[in-house]
Amino acid sequence: MRSLRWKIAARALTLLATVLLGGLLSATLVRLAPGFDTDERVLDPHLNAASVQALQNARHRNDNIFYFYCSYLDRAAHGDLGTSVSLGQPVRVLLRERLPLTVRLVGIGLGLSWIFTSMLALVAAWLRLSIYDTITTIVSGGLLCLPAAVLALLSVLWNVPGSIAIALIVFPHTYRYAFNLLMKIYSRPHILAARARGLSEARILLCHVVPVVIPQMLALAGVSVSIAIGAAIPVEALCGLPGVGALAWQAALARDLPLLVNVTILVTLVTLLVNSSADVIGSMFRGQEA
Amino acid sequence: MKIRNCNSGEIAALQSAVAVTVISLGMMVGLAAAQGGQLRFCLHNEPKTFNPLQVDDDAAAAIRYLTGGVLIRLNRQTQQLEPELAESWKISKDGREISFKLRSGIVFSDGTPFTAEDVAYTMQELMDPALHSPTGDSFRSGTGKVEARVISPTQISIRFPAEVAGLDRMFDQVSILSQNSPKKEMAVLGPFMVADYKPGASVLLQRNPNYWKKDEQGRRLPYLDSILLNIQPDRDVEMLQFKRGELDLINTLDSEYFDKLAATSPQVVHDAGPSLDSEQLWFNEVSRAPIAAYKKDWFRSAEFRRAISEAINREDLSRIVYRGHAQPAMGPFSPANKFWFNATLKPPVYSPDEALKALAAEGFRLENGALKDKSGNIVEFSIITNAGNKARERMAVLIQDDLQKIGIHVNVVTLDFPSLIERMTQSFDYDAVILGLTNVDLDPNEEMNVWLSSSGNHQWNPQQKTPETVWEAEIDRLMRVQASSNDPKKRKAAFDRVQEIVVEEQPFIFLINKNALSAVSVRVHGAAPVILSPQTFWNAERLAVSGN
Repeated sequence: MRSLRWKIAARALTLLATVLLGGLLSATLVRLAPGFDTDERVLDPHLNAASVQALQNARHRNDNIFYFYCSYLDRAAHGDLGTSVSLGQPVRVLLRERLPLTVRLVGIGLGLSWIFTSMLALVAAWLRLSIYDTITTIVSGGLLCLPAAVLALLSVLWNVPGSIAIALIVFPHTYRYAFNLLMKIYSRPHILAARARGLSEARILLCHVVPVVIPQMLALAGVSVSIAIGAAIPVEALCGLPGVGALAWQAALARDLPLLVNVTILVTLVTLLVNSSADVIGSMFRGQEA
Repeated sequence: MKIRNCNSGEIAALQSAVAVTVISLGMMVGLAAAQGGQLRFCLHNEPKTFNPLQVDDDAAAAIRYLTGGVLIRLNRQTQQLEPELAESWKISKDGREISFKLRSGIVFSDGTPFTAEDVAYTMQELMDPALHSPTGDSFRSGTGKVEARVISPTQISIRFPAEVAGLDRMFDQVSILSQNSPKKEMAVLGPFMVADYKPGASVLLQRNPNYWKKDEQGRRLPYLDSILLNIQPDRDVEMLQFKRGELDLINTLDSEYFDKLAATSPQVVHDAGPSLDSEQLWFNEVSRAPIAAYKKDWFRSAEFRRAISEAINREDLSRIVYRGHAQPAMGPFSPANKFWFNATLKPPVYSPDEALKALAAEGFRLENGALKDKSGNIVEFSIITNAGNKARERMAVLIQDDLQKIGIHVNVVTLDFPSLIERMTQSFDYDAVILGLTNVDLDPNEEMNVWLSSSGNHQWNPQQKTPETVWEAEIDRLMRVQASSNDPKKRKAAFDRVQEIVVEEQPFIFLINKNALSAVSVRVHGAAPVILSPQTFWNAERLAVSGN
């Protein structure tokens, strides 16, 4: 129990360090990107020299990236995440408004993807038909070859929800792994023996397969969350869905440092939390198994 | 009885009168069939503000147009000023003061009465230097305070520190705020008011129940119940939604989409003719630019620029890139700008042979298909433009082909917009640029910051301490002459000369004037797309939608 606590504490520290480093790296990359300290409003012929200068000064305020990042962390500790340069609104408000849509989109997408994955992989493991294997391999392989943006555009074209696009992006990644894993488990001697003794498929699944595959499936679930979050950016941007993914895309195009740093930190935090949780729970299962 | 010969002006006036009558009859027939409904169209970016004084983006400008009440409105169809909240106005002889007689009995959307105090408050807020409002900056003609004197609840006089050219026209952009309303800028005097805002998704406007205008039959305007503005940056998705009937109009349409829609639904597309927008190419003439000295010599040579201009086939640009929905540009102003366009300008001539002759006279020579300058440097340069703008990318490629014919090798480079701006305005690390000028106003005074050599927006060589060429000094002088006069003839003469100098010197090589293309669903009644922004909903208060 004590070692588990240490493990959790160590992971939390690693997580914090990674998140902070991720934020700093993101800020540095944006700062070094060409066009960082320009504002397209300077091209407005209506603005006089003083207004153009004011716009430029506002941009140059974030020139020193370490100063920016330290003051950002200081303000963030007090609940102030800064103000978006391109949208002129507090980042906290923007994230609060947009996060529910992304959570719903990614959640439904992941749920659908895991339902497809589990059903198809289990049926494949039970049937063990080469034709079925060939068909599912072609489908998942085909989906794997399609860029996320193409799937997003198809969802717009066919007027289907963006969550379906997310599901189809995640599915081929999870399906092949789950299929191989189940095939391996089902070919183990004790499963073959159980089948020979006439145990029902449901009992074999629940008592002999599920406990064995849970740690690996949890790890895969963690990875699938990262894939889904990554997919949310093109899907939201192309489908015109006002979520955090679209916000990230907009922030990158506008070199919006405060917004991009916050989105990066949020995405890093969620990804690491999910993967760490999957690892910890997986190791608990492995411990029980041992 | 004598039959008098009509001159061309009278014939044009007669034609316009007939056209207006036909359109009005059409509108009345349409409106008889349908009133009310919800109009749906797209904003291409998130509105940054609902405060009309701080508008600096297209989305916020569209909302300001639909919700804001102004003293004077520029009729987008006739290009004439019309009284709105002001019954009448008068500009003083020295051009520094404007006096308004306001309509009485008008209230804001929340019921707060509208008085001259609100106009004074709006001007005070607008002219706050800390606001950095593009609308406010347009009024800044000299140092000193703007003074608004309230004479009575319906009379106000506004005095500026120096003469402001085209003063009355500028009030088209000034939406009046309420001084006393607890709703602040959300209390409006325009036909619609903001009812709901879903960040990143949509803005819902509802009819202002207190809007003061009525139509000719005495019915209250606007006809529409509401307008739903979907925030959709992607033009492909916008087009798809329009085809599905989820949108009622597309305000500005790409020529490619225009032709696609025209093929299937010719009744929904509208080509209003050449717009005020132009596309142009310019060379980097900045003396401190980090480019080779011999290149600077080419770019600063008027003969070189004229030869390049002559070697570009603008008819091809119009025909191939814009599918015929553009006209070769003659100069800084489009012929669509009826008053300010200099009609004596000659259309550009495409002649690679003449271009080569002119270059030869300057010491350039063609050797093995490559043009060399008198020092033996091969003439080669890059054109940068913004990535994702298909029309500009195609124009750059066609220009590349055209210039190859006279032995000039051109590299086309596309950059994302922030990188492009950085090169244009800070590092000056570029050879030539293709970009466009979007003109929302007819008056040349709006382009002061483009033509004055000291300005940051004098793109080919910005922020000059003193004009580096004689002709730039002359443009500076003429622009100041037109800006310091309220005599339209004097102003026109000065700006005509500016246009001539620009065509002679080619600091901007104007390429084409795009046509104003739009799409309006057959469900929308009363639409009459025009060339001025907002092209399709300029008469939003008189639009109606049936069937939704």
